[in-house]
Amino acid sequence: MLSRCRPLLGTFVEITVPDGAEIAIAAAFAAVSHVQERMSFHEETSDLAAMRRAPPGDKVAVSAETVAVLSAALAFYRQSDGLFDITIGSDLVRDGFLPRPPGSLPGRCRGTSADIEIVDELHVRCHAPMLIDLGGIAKGYAVDQAVRALQAQGVIAGLVNAGGDMRMFGHEEWPIMLRDGDGRMREHLSLANCAIASSANLRDRRWRLGRWRTPHIGVNRAPVVARGRTTIVAPDCMTADAMTKIAMADRALAYALLASLSGQLFSERQRGAQH
Amino acid sequence: MARIDWISLLSLPALMATTSPAFSADYLTVADAQRILLPQAQSFAAYPVTLNPAQMAQIRAISGVAQRTAQPRVWRALVAGRTAGWVIVDEVVGKHEFITYATGITADGHVTGVEILSYRETKGGQVRDPRWRGLFRGKTVKDKFKLNQDIPNISGATLSCRNITDGVKRLLAIHAVALAQVG
Repeated sequence: MLSRCRPLLGTFVEITVPDGAEIAIAAAFAAVSHVQERMSFHEETSDLAAMRRAPPGDKVAVSAETVAVLSAALAFYRQSDGLFDITIGSDLVRDGFLPRPPGSLPGRCRGTSADIEIVDELHVRCHAPMLIDLGGIAKGYAVDQAVRALQAQGVIAGLVNAGGDMRMFGHEEWPIMLRDGDGRMREHLSLANCAIASSANLRDRRWRLGRWRTPHIGVNRAPVVARGRTTIVAPDCMTADAMTKIAMADRALAYALLASLSGQLFSERQRGAQH
Repeated sequence: MARIDWISLLSLPALMATTSPAFSADYLTVADAQRILLPQAQSFAAYPVTLNPAQMAQIRAISGVAQRTAQPRVWRALVAGRTAGWVIVDEVVGKHEFITYATGITADGHVTGVEILSYRETKGGQVRDPRWRGLFRGKTVKDKFKLNQDIPNISGATLSCRNITDGVKRLLAIHAVALAQVG
């Protein structure tokens, strides 16, 4: 096996394939780069920027991949009764986790996912001003796209890891360590042919103006202050990625949804328990 | 001899607790990275650069990031004796990590790619299970890892590559002040 690693999606993307298959790695990184270019919150040339600039109600041309992610995000929005909402961009800008896009007024961007319409495979429409952030789902999708690219090149086994959200394919089992909210690793799993994603915010939160600010927004748009790590194992990485956000905010809802998604939830053990 | 043994024994626990890498991986040699970043180059020649204080200040002004070493590790990519681009190998030190990476830059100052050469975690992520700890030691890029004995993959809160993004800005500034004029 050999691995390559590049800085992409704001994190480190590592691709591992069998010896002799390194030629396929370029296609996999290209698939990840494409997701970054189309779905970046920061890039003014992304599909998200085009949707932000368009007047509400206008049809906007976007890539097929962006439509795929938006469709999946809207399905999670409906299934979670609005808990998973990609229009939290304005909250994240307000709390300093994302930069304010040029020309935007985050205070006025009050649209929700219910205001997003998928017109067709290459067009969408936003019926209210909004700031969409795909940070809770696009990384997982990028991992899935990289795996599809490797498989299309005939690679029979491999692993794609985007900063801890990863998917592995082939018959062999892969050792996976779980990093707890405090940065330590106490547990590990052995997984084959599935995806895993984790979230934590112990080290990524701040107290400002009388309340906690975290990059995870939950029930009633309140920041989620999680005690520990939340890990989801699912058949694909987009599901695992999105479900970690739901599980952090509402554990019971996550259990209910995971039953139909063939997913599993692994929470960080409470401190004081033996290890 | 006995005294040396004692010193090494005494210093061992402290080393394990503070500087022992929790996770480390080697991805590419410098030569491999050069070929990936500038595949059209016929050869790469080490290009010694010593930045003067004025250039160091300029790099900081352009990139917003301080350049720590006055002697960056630069290779000149050549095609038929002419400059086809540059490869700079650089290091960034984060709160928990030490990363070596290579950036390819065209002769006119565009990034062709960034490849991580090695990643070392320094502290905060110590592995408790000694069965796992043993796996991290002494891995080099030449080792052919076997499945199941590979470097364990870690799932947790997402790591930021912000340091690398800032580093690449700094390398582009090095190109602008010290390499762009080279024919």
